[in-house]
Amino acid sequence: MYLKDMRTGQSGLVVKISKGHAAERRLFEIGLVPGASVEVVSRHPFHGPLLLQVGNTRVAVGQGIAEAVEVEINSSSGSTP
Amino acid sequence: MTIVIIGNPNVGKSLVLNRLTGSNFIVSNYAGTSLEISEAMLKLPNHEIKIIDTPGVYSVFTMGQDQQVIKDLLQKEKPELILNVLDASNLERNLLLSFELKELGIPMIVLVNQIDRARRLGMQIQRDRLENILGAPVVFFSAITGEGLMELMQMLEKNIDEFAWPSRIESFFEQEKKPECVFQCRECSIGSESCLSSEDFRRAEMARYTAQLVVHGQSETQRYWMEKAEKFIDRPLSGTILLLALVFLGFFILLKFIELSEGPISALLYPLNLIIENFVANLLPPGIVNTVLSKAIPEGLIIPFTIIMPAMLMVSFLMSILEDSGLLPRYSVALERVGRLFGVSGQAVIPLSLGFGCRTPAVLATRLMPTMAERFIVITILSIVIPCAATIGVMAAVISAFHASLMVLVITMLMVLMVLGFIISRMMPREEVFVYELPPLRIPTNKNVLKKVRLRFAGFFTEVLPLLLVMNIIIRALMESGFFKLFHSMEGFTRALFGIPADAFVAVLVTMFQRYLAPLVLLNINLTPREATIAIAMISLSLPCLPVMVMTVREIGFKGLIKILIIGFITSFVVGAALNLILPW
Ligand SMILES: Nc1nc2c(ncn2[C@@H]2O[C@H](COP(=O)(O)OP(=O)(O)OP(=O)(O)O)[C@@H](O)[C@H]2O)c(=O)[nH]1
Ligand SMILES: [Mg+2]
Repeated sequence: MYLKDMRTGQSGLVVKISKGHAAERRLFEIGLVPGASVEVVSRHPFHGPLLLQVGNTRVAVGQGIAEAVEVEINSSSGSTP
Repeated sequence: MTIVIIGNPNVGKSLVLNRLTGSNFIVSNYAGTSLEISEAMLKLPNHEIKIIDTPGVYSVFTMGQDQQVIKDLLQKEKPELILNVLDASNLERNLLLSFELKELGIPMIVLVNQIDRARRLGMQIQRDRLENILGAPVVFFSAITGEGLMELMQMLEKNIDEFAWPSRIESFFEQEKKPECVFQCRECSIGSESCLSSEDFRRAEMARYTAQLVVHGQSETQRYWMEKAEKFIDRPLSGTILLLALVFLGFFILLKFIELSEGPISALLYPLNLIIENFVANLLPPGIVNTVLSKAIPEGLIIPFTIIMPAMLMVSFLMSILEDSGLLPRYSVALERVGRLFGVSGQAVIPLSLGFGCRTPAVLATRLMPTMAERFIVITILSIVIPCAATIGVMAAVISAFHASLMVLVITMLMVLMVLGFIISRMMPREEVFVYELPPLRIPTNKNVLKKVRLRFAGFFTEVLPLLLVMNIIIRALMESGFFKLFHSMEGFTRALFGIPADAFVAVLVTMFQRYLAPLVLLNINLTPREATIAIAMISLSLPCLPVMVMTVREIGFKGLIKILIIGFITSFVVGAALNLILPW
């Protein structure tokens, strides 16, 4: 599953990122690396940005990024649609 | 001795420097406030220490522009000590940089800042453990309350002789000559073309492990109410509505304030005006010089106070609130989709809204934009469309003097913003990478807001007032000497094309170079509301002022400026002609 498919309130572990050096570097710096856990705090409509909680940081990422980050969902989290 | 402050964005580096040295560098609650290096002196009983603040970075081992700035600085200054400032509430990410810095071998003190906030969030940090792992002294600090200040000063004073620039540090500086991947890339989970190295991952793991080891007791329920407000604002619907409502409120307050303050201020200054006029008139022998100066000097002194001062004050105040509360980056997120239509990412909100204060620092703030193409788009829009505080004041005055249509003007500006953004963005390469860190919401402190209002308002006395005085004398002289009458032969042309008299067109040409001179020229001409609306629109959508031009050249070069000037001229004329065609009355 990709970040873009996650629902609000769901959390998961980052598995893989494929978006070229520069973007991966940016994501690495804010703590979005394979193995890190992320929670989707909110999603803006019309393919707008996603707000993520990564550790104690709140980060906004665009759709371009959300399509490139593969995650594994924590089955226990945020199952309410 | 020299100390360099290094740390992640928005952890409080500049406020730490201000605390230590009593200086007044700009502090705001968003990542990327400081874009340039600044320094100040710390005077200890027996020593003087130069402390240098740097723009926030997440890593120094990357090849970016910001990292280069820091590398160059280190090489040039050869500091005896690095002061690594961390955000206590976010050690996991902050420690990544600490581990990088540790490898440089430069003596380091780790300042765990915002300790007050971390405590409020219910976090406890084990200091001795952290010290052991990092191999560097750790000081708990709060740049807001002043906690840890004495301890840090004593630590500096006591150990000052032990700090020294290491003899071997070359490897770090040689890195830039090598290809992007310094270490062997990890191949498994992350594409092998990535330049993230196994070293990077090792440090990331160490940071995570360390944070887990030393931070205790952050429970969900203990989070304090600001976090609840944050939750509300970060919801797409409720948040966006609230943010938009705040914008309207802001503009409403601004316009009301300008409207209400003009009367009392001019009533207050009127006697002074007469005194100055009489004084100048009596001082000089009668003649044209006398007429010009006795009118121009009082006018040039009073107009800024009545129409520019209120706008500048209010805009500075509102901007400071926006910056310090942490709302500004939230606008970036809410408007990210809208920005995409114009080929810029949501971050454009920050420089664009700073432009309402003054456009010169706003041009500098375009460094926040991820690509050069986006920078150009944002600088162009800033230069042509965004009215700065001084301009807003002036425009408000002219609009009410001639009963020009505020609505037509606002709609025209929005239209130009959209068309311009749309066209330029089609001419630029696009790349969609939006990653932006949101700061926590904070309540702005009176002290910082006042400081920033004062800082911004200083420009009124150093720039606006003298410039207006001088230009006013020049324009008065031109008017009295009949110079403007020379242009009357153009009347047919300007009427046909823009629907305004020749004098107004000359006013447009003059004020293109300095918008807030508009009233001086326009107010002396008789204009109908329609003519005034067109003339004001042409002025509001024209060229950047001189300081902005200088900053633009510095930031994107001469060619960029020329392009913007050409676009500005075209825009202004097209707007004039189009309004002349469209406006019915
Ligand atoms: N509660 C609390 N807030 C702090 C502290 N230090 C800084 N802040 C706030 O953190 C925000 C960022 O402060 P700055 O000094 O601008 O941060 P910076 O590290 O210089 O940021 P950049 O220049 O963007 O890299 C401001 O809103 C400060 O008021 C602190 O010790 N406690
Ligand atoms: Mg700063």
